[in-house]
Order: sequence, then C-alpha cells, then structure tokens
Amino acid sequence: MKTDAMEIEVLSYRGIDVLKVYGDIDLYSSPGLRKNLISIICKKPGTLLVDLSNVSYIDSSGIATFVEGLKNMMCYGGRLKFIGLPDRIREIFSFSRLDKVFEIYDGIDQAI
Amino acid sequence: MENAIEVRNLRTHYGNIEILKGISLNVPKGLITAILGGSGCGKSTLLKHLIGLLKPTEGNIIINGRDIAGMNERDMDEVRKKIGVLFQGAALLNSMTVGDNVALPLREHTRLEGSTIQIMVRMKLDLVGLSGFDKFYPSQLSGGMKKRAGLARALAMDPEILFFDEPSAGLDPITAAGIDELILRLKDIFRITIIVVTHELASLFRIADHVIMLDRGEKVFEGELDELRASDNPRIRCFLERQAEEREYTPEDYFRIIAGD
Repeated sequence: MKTDAMEIEVLSYRGIDVLKVYGDIDLYSSPGLRKNLISIICKKPGTLLVDLSNVSYIDSSGIATFVEGLKNMMCYGGRLKFIGLPDRIREIFSFSRLDKVFEIYDGIDQAI
Repeated sequence: MENAIEVRNLRTHYGNIEILKGISLNVPKGLITAILGGSGCGKSTLLKHLIGLLKPTEGNIIINGRDIAGMNERDMDEVRKKIGVLFQGAALLNSMTVGDNVALPLREHTRLEGSTIQIMVRMKLDLVGLSGFDKFYPSQLSGGMKKRAGLARALAMDPEILFFDEPSAGLDPITAAGIDELILRLKDIFRITIIVVTHELASLFRIADHVIMLDRGEKVFEGELDELRASDNPRIRCFLERQAEEREYTPEDYFRIIAGD
C-alpha cells in the first residue's frame, strides 16, 4: 500500500507477521499506517514485528499510532516488537522514554 | 550553513510611516535565532511578516525555498502547516479545554483518528510539563502554564519552524528560565528551526545561536553572540548595557511636537 510518501508491506517470517514500512511516517501518512496496523492487530497475533529500517522520518503522529497499536495488543497479551530503528528514530524513541516501553531489537532474528 | 528563511530588502509601512526599512537577513536551519531590539524597533512587525500575517510593501521572504511575500492565502496555508507560533499572550481559546486547544490544528488540518489525536495531545502536554492538565480551561492556568499550553498547541503539527514572540514576557525569572530550557530541548531533540523575538538579555545569552538586532526599523547587527558582545556599535552597547536613550531633539523641536505644528 502506498500513502503519500510512505509504503507498507506485510510479510510473514517463520509464521510471524512483519509490518515493513518505507519512507516518511507523518501527519499525512499515519492514517494509512494505522489502518494497516489495526487490521493486523484485530486478528490478535501473539507477536507483531514492525521493521522501520527503511523509514527516514517519523513524527509524533507515527509514534502515537504505534502507542495505540501497543495499547491494543497489551489488552490481550500480544507483543509489538520493533526492528531496524535508524539512529535518528531511536533517539526520538529514547527522548520520549518509549524505548523503555516498546520492545526494540537490532534485527529480525534477535526479535523472534 | 543552510537557511530555513531568507529575507531580502523587506520594506513595510503602517500608513505613511516606514516601519521596516529594507531589511535583509538569514535564519539558519536547525538553530535558534533571536530577533532583538527595543520596544517599537519593528521586531514584532518583522515576525508578523515571517509568519505571513502581514504583506510587505516591497521585498522577498523565502521560507524553505518559496517566496511568501506575494503568496496567495491558499498556498500560505500550506506553508503555515509547517510553522508553529507561540504568541505573546499564548492566544489560547478560552472556551476550550487545554486538550482541545492542542487538538484543534490536528482536527482542522489532518485526517488523523480521534484516538491518535488524543495520544498526540498527551505527548505534547507531557513535553511542555503539563501532563494531566488536558481537561483544564485556560482561565485555570497560571501565566507560565498558559505559555506552555500555547507551546504545546504550536507543536501540535510537528512544525519545522517555530516562532516565539517574547516568550518570557510577564513571567517570573524561574518560569522564564524553564521556558528557555524547553526551547533548547526542542532544538536539540527535534532539530526545529527556532526564531525568538525578545528583548530579554538573560534569555538571549542562554539560548541564541544566531542574533539579529533591529533598531528603528533597520538591521544593526546579524551574527553570533560573541560578535554581538564585542560590537562597538553605540546602539548595541546602549541596549546591552541597559542605558537609557538620550533625547535627540532640541527644546524647539519638542515645542513643535507638543504644539502640534
């Protein structure tokens, strides 16, 4: 799916859903990200991996979208895990202390 | 150094009086630029031009490569989505809660879901130290808290450029220092280009990377703090050393002024 400057790919790796995001996550692309994220979470996967290695920018709407996703998954004991965070995005997660709340891993094999 | 804003030969008038007299300046990207000067020097007028509230008589204002001086309102609205402004009085809507004030630009300009907006509002309020105040009305906040709430609203759309009009005005020194620290954090973490209109010297020396000083509608200085401190321009020295301005007209001039001649 392509939404403005962002693209999303949903893959399966060893039976685990992987949401791979490309481009910028901003005020205009976040609604598309939310739609994809929520539609996966509705199926109540035990683990969902979000690959941000190809994301060049994320704003507060993108972070809020992931917060909402995690909140929904926590309701049924699901786990939302992030992989491949570029330094700049890791910095923003760290500033907002979300690095302590989100599960963050370097790569896909460490996350599963 | 890349510039976020470039102003070229900006002239403007209120009636027949020339307020800005051919000003040219640069605002470097990702830094804090302070626009400095005494009351009536034209700094607030300059700010109103930079945010597109006033159109100049002459000159160019280039923001991210686009000249806003002659821009129509529709295009200007697109530019404004990338700009946040904290007005001197915070400009909150008194009939709305603090949370609704912060949510307003997001509801007006985006297609974000209400649930996403609510999380964003809580993030912005936490950023300015107002967690838990979303249900309060502006009248229930102190002066410093109103400024913080205004800042949360200015940050709502994740602006690339953030303007502050006299952020310390009317605040006690401790609250004013807190606002300065917040401005520095915004620059460091989000790399926002920040423009602060001020005449507060303590704030200037704490936060500014780049300084532009206006005097009577003219630019008298542009550069770094060290250069400002070292300047021997008498107008700058007067300002930095807080010396009262000497009357420049003769008793005869004074008589003509009060006699209305």
